[in-house]
Amino acid sequence: MIAMLRPLRRSLALGFALVLAAGSAGIAAEGRLYPSGPPNGVAYLRFVNMASQEVTVVSPAAKIAVPADDAHRVREFDPVTPGVALKGSVELGGASKPIDVTLAPNEFVTIAITGGADGLTLTVLRDVPSDFNALKSSLALFNLDPACAKADLLAGDNHLAVVSDVAPGALGRRLVNPVDVALSVSCGDPAQGLPAKLGALVAGDRYSVFVAASGSGRQIVAGRDEQASFRP
Amino acid sequence: MNALLAGLAVLIIGDSHMVTRDYLITTLHDDLTAQGATVDTYGMCGANAGDWVYPTTVSCGRAERHGKTPPVVDYKGGIPTWTVDALIAKHHPNLVVIEMGDTMAGYGQHDFPQGWIYQQVHALTGRVAAQNIPCIWIGPPWGGEGSTYHKTFARVKEMSEFLSTAVAPCRFIDSTVFSKPGDWPTIDGQHLTASGYRTWGKDITESIDQMAPQLARRP
Repeated sequence: MIAMLRPLRRSLALGFALVLAAGSAGIAAEGRLYPSGPPNGVAYLRFVNMASQEVTVVSPAAKIAVPADDAHRVREFDPVTPGVALKGSVELGGASKPIDVTLAPNEFVTIAITGGADGLTLTVLRDVPSDFNALKSSLALFNLDPACAKADLLAGDNHLAVVSDVAPGALGRRLVNPVDVALSVSCGDPAQGLPAKLGALVAGDRYSVFVAASGSGRQIVAGRDEQASFRP
Repeated sequence: MNALLAGLAVLIIGDSHMVTRDYLITTLHDDLTAQGATVDTYGMCGANAGDWVYPTTVSCGRAERHGKTPPVVDYKGGIPTWTVDALIAKHHPNLVVIEMGDTMAGYGQHDFPQGWIYQQVHALTGRVAAQNIPCIWIGPPWGGEGSTYHKTFARVKEMSEFLSTAVAPCRFIDSTVFSKPGDWPTIDGQHLTASGYRTWGKDITESIDQMAPQLARRP
């Protein structure tokens, strides 16, 4: 299922053009999933694989494998055309789920892929951040665990709340001073938090922390956001 | 003559405000030269910050000027961009001055493209910072409203406020403090008259003079 999907402002004409263009280009083994759109007013899309196996993202233009190791689970934000339906699918083992998402200008969208007993799930997390700042660091907490009613991102031994009460399928964000502090994620009891290893925060950089179900427990993936440069 | 600027090698890069003879490529360049600096100036019309990082082509011309020689302006489109890495390697500047803002502020767009601007700015300042060269970023002047550039005072203010937090480790010079909205006449809503560029160049130079003691000087 695709959670939190806004009503699609679909342009049939543009969507058809996208499919035609992709058809003539063929399916590449690796490459850009979607056209990058206008240089100014662009939107950004990334995929995050929180499943236990490699997944494949297929668009009309390309086919990309997203590994399941922590160093490669989170892809960079790729510039895409806003206002156009971006279609495709995500494949995990024999399961497949469709992608059909339209981004607004300046929106940053993360499609998170989770697997489990109930199969493959895609969660669309939408964000229009307005906290870009070269003097601070931006921390975002993405909650992909339906069993975690309120996720908290905590700092230090005294569990100071940095981001609080993030519901499943949602994200919270906060601008902080660039410091070197131990971070953890909890779902209720701060003492039971799991470490989110980011190391020393760097001024101007942006970071994402993901919490998802894993077997009978939870897993945390944390890292610095990467943003692909605009390419015509 | 400013003792702190004397002997300094200054590299100036900018957008179309540098790409016509009477613009900053003359006024700012001359004013810094008069302070004793050795100045090399490059302008690329329509360029975003990222265009100085990722090689591409200029859309509406480019210009350059070195020391006391006159500016060389080429209004052809489609010629290659200069990259800041190559210019730093060529001129070994002690200070990089970046004039940019109008091309990235999203004039005419409802939403302010903050994420995209930040990416552009961060890419360019990152290249300068990687060489440990102090840098100063000059924001856009007010310009005029109601032109085909769709520039508005509100968006210029928004852009200037954003750049003030986005350009670190470069220092920021807010050009909107030099005048009141509409004080400096323009020829097209965006580009100033010759007199405006003289005033803007003088005001920027005075600001750089004031910042000079805080700029780490690369040997």
